[in-house]
Amino acid sequence: MEPVIRIKNLRKFFGDKMVLKDINLEVHKGEIIGYIGPNGAGKSTTVKIMLGLIGEYEGQVNILGQDISSGDINYKSRIGYVPEIAEIYENLTAREYLTFIGELYGMDYEVADKKAEKLMELFGIQNVYDARISSYSKGMKQKTLIISALINDPDILFLDEPLSGIDANSVMVFKEVLAELARNGKTIFYSSHIMEVVEKLSSRIVLINNGEIAADGNIEELREKSLEGSLEEIFNNLTGFNDHQEIAKEIVATIKGVE
Amino acid sequence: MKDYKVLKFLDRFKGLFKKFDIDYKAMRKILQVKLLLDSRRVATVLQNNNSKNDDKKDKNNFISSLWIYLLLGLVMIPLVLIGESYIFQMSIVFGIFMFFMITSLISDFSSVLLDLRDKEILLSRPINSRTLNMAKVLHIFFYVSMISMALMGPSLIASLMKKGFLFFILLLAEIILVDLFLIVFTGLIYMLILRFFDGEKLKDIINYVQIGLTIIISLGYQLIGRLFNFIDIDKIQFSGKWWSYIIPPIWFAAPFELILNNNRQINIIAYSLMALIIPITSIIVYIKLMPEFERNLQKLRNVGMAKKSRSKFSDIMGKIACRTKEERNFYRFSTNMIKNEREFKLKVYPNIGFGFIFPFIMLFSLSVGSKFSEVRDSKLYYNIYFILFAVTAMVQFLDRSGNYKGAWIYQTLPIDYPEYIYRGAVKAVFINLFTPLYILVSIIFLIIFRIRIIPHIIAAYLSMMLATSIIFKINNKDLPFSKAFSVTEKGGLLPAFLSLIIEGALFAAHYFVAKASYGVYIYIIMALIANAITWKYFFRVQGNH
Repeated sequence: MEPVIRIKNLRKFFGDKMVLKDINLEVHKGEIIGYIGPNGAGKSTTVKIMLGLIGEYEGQVNILGQDISSGDINYKSRIGYVPEIAEIYENLTAREYLTFIGELYGMDYEVADKKAEKLMELFGIQNVYDARISSYSKGMKQKTLIISALINDPDILFLDEPLSGIDANSVMVFKEVLAELARNGKTIFYSSHIMEVVEKLSSRIVLINNGEIAADGNIEELREKSLEGSLEEIFNNLTGFNDHQEIAKEIVATIKGVE
Repeated sequence: MKDYKVLKFLDRFKGLFKKFDIDYKAMRKILQVKLLLDSRRVATVLQNNNSKNDDKKDKNNFISSLWIYLLLGLVMIPLVLIGESYIFQMSIVFGIFMFFMITSLISDFSSVLLDLRDKEILLSRPINSRTLNMAKVLHIFFYVSMISMALMGPSLIASLMKKGFLFFILLLAEIILVDLFLIVFTGLIYMLILRFFDGEKLKDIINYVQIGLTIIISLGYQLIGRLFNFIDIDKIQFSGKWWSYIIPPIWFAAPFELILNNNRQINIIAYSLMALIIPITSIIVYIKLMPEFERNLQKLRNVGMAKKSRSKFSDIMGKIACRTKEERNFYRFSTNMIKNEREFKLKVYPNIGFGFIFPFIMLFSLSVGSKFSEVRDSKLYYNIYFILFAVTAMVQFLDRSGNYKGAWIYQTLPIDYPEYIYRGAVKAVFINLFTPLYILVSIIFLIIFRIRIIPHIIAAYLSMMLATSIIFKINNKDLPFSKAFSVTEKGGLLPAFLSLIIEGALFAAHYFVAKASYGVYIYIIMALIANAITWKYFFRVQGNH
């Protein structure tokens, strides 16, 4: 079967600095990819390239069988995206924002409105549907973003730290939703620093470090490779980080002002 | 969502947009949202704006800032009506018109063109970059055409009554053409910069180009008058020079001469053709290049290598100028914010261009016909007061920031006296932005007028300092960097008039006191005392604290 995402020898420079070094990746229908790596490893850059937000890369990126550098943007109508630091028109109400996004995806106003309202209700925030987003709490804002990414029933979901600020109950619901979506043949690209969630949720984990793929496989395969138990330990091992205790001690000493 | 009349009007040109590969439906949606957003005041972090349904209060306060343009428009009526020497009259009219439009575009609307937020929200959706860029252009066009109507509306009505329908239609058509041309022209310049530069340099270049453009336009505007020989008022001779081909107001004046006066001179025909062909070509080129524009915009996000830059000058001055530790802290904070605040720079730097060029423009136009030795010994060095144009915007936009949400720190930090915040911030702009400019202009003035004017330079500097505190007092009551920039609130004319009045008063004081022997030293002492008072009391603002 044709992979949903196929990345071949992807390289990206910012100025002279190579931030992505020959990324190769194939993602298939129904997979939940846990995309992890230290800060600044190149995770968001990869995702932004796939969304066409960053251009001028080397290599090939195919999404849903289409080379995204062709200039044809139709593939975007089958994608949902929750960015880590999301810009949002905060002076709109959720109704205004979500119907706007829905219509940009080519939906009818009424359909988008109904769907958005229903999803707001299911996420437990229908009471603020007509309030300005600027008055929302972080979790409400995050839920609105998630709804805006799901409203077009996308085939691929890019989620960058989607659970931040969301209460525990909704987290449980949302995790179940993702599993259900994957069972329905949707592909999910999940980026997070919370290793427990990634470990539980993902069918496959891709670890990126210094612009390179350091590990790729399901959790069992990763365990065998690095001889560690939890994903957190695997992460530390593969990114070559093992002095956390010393650093912690030093931090506390610095806070206290001890030389 | 509210449907706007403008959009319904736009619907008529649907077919045209489709021809250029623009998704009209999506563009219309984006514009609708933009107009709605403009009508909503951005809630600041410092006010508790949690009211849920203030939609009914949606109101675009842009229109109320237009009256000053309307006033100017009324003053322009005689220029249109006075005679039939169209190439002369209309060059002046278009000169004034284009000057105000382009300066407004450079300082008020650059941030719309260079906006990155839209890109992040919209381009991950199936929207092509051409559609987004067109929405931006039309968004600007909407405001630009309102300013145009305020500025040229009176002339249009007057011309319809006195000059006939043909004149009216020609003027109207050209106004629209000029507006489009200027937006596209600004866009093309940014496009060029975006293509060739990257990283930190790009951000600097944009601001230098803004300053440069302001200077060039102010100068070019001066040149129009030089094209005519005033033999007597009925017989103004147009003396076309080779460089009149690069003065756009001349192009737009020519069709009036060509059509209404049946003037078939070869250069008039050439100008008329240029008035038609150049704007249309630019528009087509711009539309072709739109995707590149949006793509290169991303470069503004690219951060260059962090360089540790701390100016010694700024540090030393800060130590001298700020007495308390708290004030010095806010001085340093504001200095760093100003240095990196993209939107602040976009709005303020064009005014630095004005501040630089106006003393010289005034100096030269007042010394036309005199010998250099006469100028040298004259009192024309007082023109240095025109540098004040630079101060107004600096103080006016000090409460704005692209990162206005960071202002929550004011509330959580244990700060007793908000006056330290204000005073530190105003000192930061005065020292880091204004003072270097003043030194530069002073050096040139010293070369022209020699060292005899040093006391006056010092006196004028103290006047500027005084003016800054006064401008703060009348303008600014919000904490620095605590409000968002918005398209509908304009900088520009009204504050410029206010500072003109302040400048006039201070200049008069300086001038008359200096007439006495050693008067200039008396003025310096007076200004020092006045400064001590204003800088002590004017910053005691009843804030949110």
